[in-house]
Amino acid sequence: MRMLDKPLVVAGELAWLGGDRLERRVDRPAKETSTIADGEVTQEREGKKPRSFSLKRAPQLKVLLDSFVALLAGDPSRLAESFTVALGRDADRWQLTLTPRDPGIAKQIATIHVYGRGDRPRCLRMDEGDGDTSIDLLGELATAMPATPTREGLVAQCGGAM
Amino acid sequence: MTKVRVGILVVWLGSLVLLGWMVAAQLKISTDLRSFMPAPTTPDQQLLMDQVGEGPGSRLLLVAIDGGNDTDKAALSRGLAASLRKDPAFTQVVNGDFDMGMLDAGLLPYRYLLSPTLDDTAMDEAFLADQLQQRLDDLGSPAATLLKGWLPRDPTLEVLKLVERWTPAHSPEVRDGVWFSSRGEALLLVQTRGAGFDPGAQGDAIDRLRTAFSALPHNAASHLTLSGPGFFTVTVNAQTRHEADWIGAISTVGFVVLMLAAYRSFASLIFGALPVATGALAGVTVMLLFFTEVHGITLAFGFTLLGVAQEYPIRLLSHRRAGESAVASVRGLWPLLLTAIASACIAYLAFYASGVGGLKQLAVFTITGLLAAGFSTRYVLPYLLPATARDVADTPGLGPFRQWLDSLPRPRWLPLPVILAVAAMLALAPGPFWQNDLSALTPLPRDLLATDARLRGELGAPDVRYLLIVQAPTADGVLAASTALEPVMSNLVAKKALDGFDLPSMYLPDLATQRARQARLPDRLALDTALDGALQGMPFRKDLFAPFVADVQAARAAPLLTPDVFARSPLGQRLAAMLARRGDHWVGLSTLSGVHDPAAIDHAVGAVGVDARLLDLKVSSESLVAAYRTRILHAVLAAAALLLVTITLALRSVRRAWHVLAPMTLATFLVLAVERIAGIPISLFHLVALILAAGLGLHYALFFERDTGDPAEQRRTLHATVVCVISALLVFGMLAWSSIPVLRAIGLTVALGVAFHFCLSILMAPHARQE
Repeated sequence: MRMLDKPLVVAGELAWLGGDRLERRVDRPAKETSTIADGEVTQEREGKKPRSFSLKRAPQLKVLLDSFVALLAGDPSRLAESFTVALGRDADRWQLTLTPRDPGIAKQIATIHVYGRGDRPRCLRMDEGDGDTSIDLLGELATAMPATPTREGLVAQCGGAM
Repeated sequence: MTKVRVGILVVWLGSLVLLGWMVAAQLKISTDLRSFMPAPTTPDQQLLMDQVGEGPGSRLLLVAIDGGNDTDKAALSRGLAASLRKDPAFTQVVNGDFDMGMLDAGLLPYRYLLSPTLDDTAMDEAFLADQLQQRLDDLGSPAATLLKGWLPRDPTLEVLKLVERWTPAHSPEVRDGVWFSSRGEALLLVQTRGAGFDPGAQGDAIDRLRTAFSALPHNAASHLTLSGPGFFTVTVNAQTRHEADWIGAISTVGFVVLMLAAYRSFASLIFGALPVATGALAGVTVMLLFFTEVHGITLAFGFTLLGVAQEYPIRLLSHRRAGESAVASVRGLWPLLLTAIASACIAYLAFYASGVGGLKQLAVFTITGLLAAGFSTRYVLPYLLPATARDVADTPGLGPFRQWLDSLPRPRWLPLPVILAVAAMLALAPGPFWQNDLSALTPLPRDLLATDARLRGELGAPDVRYLLIVQAPTADGVLAASTALEPVMSNLVAKKALDGFDLPSMYLPDLATQRARQARLPDRLALDTALDGALQGMPFRKDLFAPFVADVQAARAAPLLTPDVFARSPLGQRLAAMLARRGDHWVGLSTLSGVHDPAAIDHAVGAVGVDARLLDLKVSSESLVAAYRTRILHAVLAAAALLLVTITLALRSVRRAWHVLAPMTLATFLVLAVERIAGIPISLFHLVALILAAGLGLHYALFFERDTGDPAEQRRTLHATVVCVISALLVFGMLAWSSIPVLRAIGLTVALGVAFHFCLSILMAPHARQE
């Protein structure tokens, strides 16, 4: 992120609860649970009262949720509803490039790259409109997270998953 | 027609046209309903009168956009809000848009003086470190994209706290960034600049709103639902006008048929209409001389009341003998006609004595109109009428009818059972005697009221019944008192005494509070040191928070915010609506929503030690109506006494005066009793209608009492009276079927009155001397 000197690393678990509901549990650096359900995002932190906001206030999040749920549910038509989809293959590795169809959302999220092997995604990279990038290393890749990650290193690691 | 008569007709019509043209050019019609309310006497009533029209609650329009998909509705909501915010007819538009720009950019540094955050913490290293850690967590959370833009300037999120503070307590669900109801309509709250009970201003605002909506793209599938006091005012106005129009049209046709059947002459019909037209135009002209603005209701009621004057030409037409010139017959008729005119004027004088602006106008209009109609009937009309006329005494069936009436028993004891019946009915009548609730007369369909309650609930829009009033000698004093009330009100919300509140100090704290907050802000050196310490071990770029430091320093040095300066920001209008100068002191008006326990609120507010109290607008308006009625009743009593004297003097006999006044009085009370036994509570409009009916009844009694000894003349009297009764029943009987309570009240009362007056004045008249 431009505001920060070094990448901001959080670790935890992302769970699909079925339907349009996701739970994002963060263990490090501070414990926090975010639930996205019924159009509301609820954040709970230790020692703080939970706060929630409507998903519509954070369209990026909505897009992320859509892509995630569609991916996990294996629903290509839903994916195609909100994105133009490009698929690249190399043996059993694959790369999906998702570009939001809505021009308003595209201004905030330029592209989402999903890298995977076989039947499971391994890394998800979101390039935001303002130049910030967020990378989700999934499964075994997450355990390979270096102690002092750099942006370039992480991008390479994510893309290397292909 | 002779040349002279043509000349008179041309001159008369010419002057009517000229008068009409002058009136049309000068007439300014006011629509503010408050001029029909009595002058307030207590401070609460004064406040009520201001509030009724101009209070923040009464200027609120609730808007729902329905139909089409959510995205379209949200886009329409945003488009509508954007265009209305540019329109000077609206002072506030809220649609749930998460509007970080609520605070003017120039006022942004003031967030540290407006927000209560620093009241219990200092802006030191510990506070900043905690805040920065939270922001770092935010950046790694789903909320990151929401907050990223504000971080360098506002790491403690003061703007967000202010926006949350200024958002209604119970806001509806937000979809696509705007409010949605549970039924899926996009919702907006719009405050108009014009007064709530001014149908003209509200109609204009609603037209602008609808025009703005229809100018938006993709609106075809959607439609607007409006609600709120202003919308009701406009609806009631349009509905009343619409019904009055078609009822008037039917009555006019009926009247034309009646006149043709009664006199078999087109000339009589046309010329018979001239005195009333003259009266109406003269009335409006005189009103223009006395008042700068004429009220729309005065005109509507005035034309109705002037219906009495139609009796004058009818009497002239009916009482003409065969071969007698119109001039001769009017001379014979004149003493009685003059008594009738004078007594009607005295009855209407009661309106003038009521001291209410609109009713004073009404009195001036009707009295002038009656005099003009009466005198033109006496001095102009006879010269215009054809030289010969059919004697109505020969109308088939009239003779037997008169004989039948004459053969009816005229028991002297008749008043006694009538009085007993009236007393019994009044004693046994169900429900309250008086209708104190003005809103009971508003003819709002039930579904409109249900829609209003539903939207109001969903929007958390303020209650229109209760207001919290704060008074102080200065504007800042009001703000200080309001600041003191804030914790008390929050406590009351926690105790569920009410759902939410809006105090002026929530938008602009008083100067002392601002000064205290300013004093707590650190200087540049202290802030830099604290920030450096807090940033230790954090990944934030070192220079990231320079805009924040600059804002804190700007806030430290800035001159304090006054309502005047604040007025230039988008929120200034909202504050201006809550803070008003009244005479030598300032009043703060706070709207409350979801009031459950008014007594607890009043008690808690009273214990704070500032000049604040809960105002119940319903109680104030009822006390106002009760005071108003007492005044009108006194005026009516005085008019009745004056009438007694006038009639006695004119007839030069107490016995004859009794024959005229007794049936009129009894019939008036009979109407009252019948309406009461039917369960109708008596409102001001019933009183006005009773006075009108009494005026008509007085005429019947006067003419029936006249003992001419000539059977033909008696038949003419009967003919004239029957024509008058039928025409009155035609007009007011139609009104009685109206769906609008006000029109129904007037119609039913006058129709019943005319019937009772007619019957009683015949039964109580002295027996016609038999030939």
